[in-house]
Amino acid sequence: MRILPRFRDRWLLRRIPPAPSVRLNQRRIFIMPTAVGLAFLVALLLMLLTAINYQNSLAYGLSFLLGSLYLVTILHTWRNLAGLLLQAGGTTAAFVGEQALLRVRLESAGRAYQAVALGWPASGLRLVDVAAGGTVEVELSLPTERRGWLRPGRVRVESRFPLGLLVAWSWIDLELAALVYPQPCVAERPQGHSAPETEDEGTLARGAGVDDYQGLRAWQPGDARRRLHWKAYSRGQGLLVKDFASLLGNDPLLDFDTLDGDPERRLSMLCHWVVELSEKQQPFALRLPAGVIGPDGGQAHRDACLRALALHGLGGEGSA
Amino acid sequence: MSVKPGIPRNSLIWLLVAQVLVILPHLTHLPLWIIGLWLGCATWRIQIFRMRARYPRSWLKALLMIGAGFGVYFSRGSLVGLEAGVVLLIAAFILKLVEMSTRRDALVLIFLGFFAVVTSYLFEDSLLAGLYSLLPVTALLAAMIGLQQSSLVTRPWPTVRLAGSLLLQAVPLMLVLFLFFPRLPPLWSLPQAGDRGVTGLADHMAPGDIARLGRSPELAFRVSFDGDIPPREQLYWRAVTFERFDGRRWSQSYASHLPQEPEWQAVGEPLGYNVVMQPSGQPWLFALDVARVAPGQAQLMSDFHLQRRQPVNQPLMYQVTSWLDARREAVRAPESLGRSLQLPERGNPRARAWAMELRRSAQEPQAMVDALLKHFNRQPYHYTLEPPPVGDDIVDDFLFETRSGFCAHYAGAMTFVLRAAGIPARVVAGYQGGEVNPAGNYLSVHQFDAHAWVEYWVAERGWVSVDPTFQVAPERVEQGLEQALARERSFLADQPMSLLRYRDIGWVNTLRLRWDSLNYGWQRWVLNYQGEQQTQMLQRWLGKLDAQTLGLGLVAILGVLTAVLALFLFKPWRRETDPHQRLFRRFERLLARHGVHRNKGEGARSFAERAAATLPEQAPAILAFVRLYEAQRYAQLPGTTDELSHSLRQLRRALPWRLPKPAGRS
Repeated sequence: MRILPRFRDRWLLRRIPPAPSVRLNQRRIFIMPTAVGLAFLVALLLMLLTAINYQNSLAYGLSFLLGSLYLVTILHTWRNLAGLLLQAGGTTAAFVGEQALLRVRLESAGRAYQAVALGWPASGLRLVDVAAGGTVEVELSLPTERRGWLRPGRVRVESRFPLGLLVAWSWIDLELAALVYPQPCVAERPQGHSAPETEDEGTLARGAGVDDYQGLRAWQPGDARRRLHWKAYSRGQGLLVKDFASLLGNDPLLDFDTLDGDPERRLSMLCHWVVELSEKQQPFALRLPAGVIGPDGGQAHRDACLRALALHGLGGEGSA
Repeated sequence: MSVKPGIPRNSLIWLLVAQVLVILPHLTHLPLWIIGLWLGCATWRIQIFRMRARYPRSWLKALLMIGAGFGVYFSRGSLVGLEAGVVLLIAAFILKLVEMSTRRDALVLIFLGFFAVVTSYLFEDSLLAGLYSLLPVTALLAAMIGLQQSSLVTRPWPTVRLAGSLLLQAVPLMLVLFLFFPRLPPLWSLPQAGDRGVTGLADHMAPGDIARLGRSPELAFRVSFDGDIPPREQLYWRAVTFERFDGRRWSQSYASHLPQEPEWQAVGEPLGYNVVMQPSGQPWLFALDVARVAPGQAQLMSDFHLQRRQPVNQPLMYQVTSWLDARREAVRAPESLGRSLQLPERGNPRARAWAMELRRSAQEPQAMVDALLKHFNRQPYHYTLEPPPVGDDIVDDFLFETRSGFCAHYAGAMTFVLRAAGIPARVVAGYQGGEVNPAGNYLSVHQFDAHAWVEYWVAERGWVSVDPTFQVAPERVEQGLEQALARERSFLADQPMSLLRYRDIGWVNTLRLRWDSLNYGWQRWVLNYQGEQQTQMLQRWLGKLDAQTLGLGLVAILGVLTAVLALFLFKPWRRETDPHQRLFRRFERLLARHGVHRNKGEGARSFAERAAATLPEQAPAILAFVRLYEAQRYAQLPGTTDELSHSLRQLRRALPWRLPKPAGRS
């Protein structure tokens, strides 16, 4: 049943092989009349019938002029893609359920390009203009459903400019890939012990801003909202703030094995705590069956942990 | 992106402009309320765009549509037919504007606009109207382009420039299609544009009728002769004959509608010519006696006039061959002679008595005619466009009381007297003479050239034409109406706008004749480029062609033209040079104009430094350009060429228009 699409994919693979940078040329641009174009042709036919039945030369002339315009538009529509250089830009990772952002750079080698649409038909196309000799970066967003690498495959780039009578398009594979982290899932912090290798060095201060929970104190203006103790507030104890003090103590270990439940849920819980602890700027270590990361703090550590969570158990895909 | 694509501002602006341009030529045949409707709808739509009004609700839309339908019915008396159809089309074109909320609606509106332009051709197809229609078409295309543009594009001019350039690029292809696309006969008959108040000869003639035509400067027809244009005195263009007289009006007899070719013999050389006539609303064609046309086009009727099946409601071109000296029904007396003797029972007693008296003294019919002509010549008759009113006995009053009249008076009176004397005679109505246009070597015949003359039948000679007006005002025939009315100064007195009145001002006349010649060419070569004309023309140029060769040739020419256009659009020879390189070339040329030439292989930087040394005052601008160029080209720094071309412009401004030769400085 699915023979035709598969055949088409294979054909496209040969014709437009994946590459991070693709220039659109005659091998890569396809062109077809749109529904509007077909309606235009029907209207032209009616005009021609009027011309024939009234033997009116001017009506003939207008039908021919618009018919010629249709031919001219084929060239113009095609030209509005020809020579355009598309390059893969960076991507921004997202958590499952969020929109992943993928950037594509469009570069003109001379001409201006107007109203070039880019994207995936399922999620809608973005319309951009590229100035003569200019470069434009388009941010495409895609919904995410599974953790791991999101490879949206071929991007559709199309143009109906100038008259909308024809559509010129191409499917290009810029080897775009966005990392999708597991969906964070609020849970109790895994009761992992501190990382073994840091046991004795618990008194070492690890950079500034390393806090640990100390107790509750009354709220003062300027306190972060996320440190409010909402449970206490709901019990009617007034606004209390969880107080954190700089602690030269053991860094927590987030351990995959100490958690229960199916692996995906466990990854989600770990993900939550990676985010949570990173936000508190508290160093931590993450242990997955594949190995231990950290303990460490900072953005790079967070990204490494999230990446490990995203790619856990997905085999050789980590290399991309 | 967006859920429901709205209509960009640019597109809306051009749609509104296009609507004005589309409706404008229709105003001559639209009821007034349409203008009110249009103003209301346009204002409403603009308010919707400014978010100060809402789209009409569906009941209101329905109400408006029904209202428009009733409006059409009441102002046009029907909902079918061309006139009503066009009003309905325009009403829909206007109402759709208010309802338009999506791009799809806008497209429907644009297509309706194209149709409205086509229908305007059915009412007016002059050269000016054709050229004008390019304006609404361009505006409609601009609106169509605006629909595709991203909403960031807000300046309307580039959009319409693009539309114009698209149209220009389509013109060569259109010309090829126009020339070679096979013209078909009408597939089915459609309602035609009705009576548009055409002036021209009617199928009857009361005394003042032709005088009324004498005031009209409108064109009746134009003629191109295959050889030289014959002298004016021979140019009697027959349209119709009047055989019935009821005491007041001359009219066609029913028998003259019989499509039965009368007997005649060709004498002398044939005269070939081509006539393009304006719509007359009548079925007859104009030709010199005795005429023959292509069989399908018209039929020679029993009274020697040419008639076709339908009235001429569109400009019509036909080729005629005439034998000016042909003998008509000379062999034997035709059966129709009785009709040419008919007179009312009573009336005009003095004319009848005078006829009998003349006949008695003349004996021979020919002598009787000569006596009558001599009478008109000798007696104080007066040729005028403003004849005094006559009583019930119009012939008596004219012959014996007023003695002044236009050609119809003379022809009518002469025919009456001949009949009363027993000589078969009838009035012929048509045109006499015409204006030679030296710019195109053709003849223009106007309504004021309308004329009436007489033909009578005598045994052995058949029908003989005679013009009593010639006896009274020979300059009417020899020079034209203007000269005949010179004393009276009544020529086109009530037509101050007509350029024909100013024929004596040299440059006005030259201009008028040129313009007329242009319009004639338009009519002959463009408007009448239909089936037969096309076949003839293509055969003359290309020899015998069959449909298959024609089709293949058409496709081939279209392909070649498209390829040329593609070359022009894509400029493959410039594919490799990137825009930075191109700007640098311009920079080089600019400096070369001021005497600094780049050596072969010299780098951009060293060239610029040398130039800066030569032109110290402009050094900052020169170095600024080169720095930017290097940064963008070699360091791959982002930035558009706009910046670079801006820098180049600054340099150009810094440089004086022309420098003294470098030699003069050192």
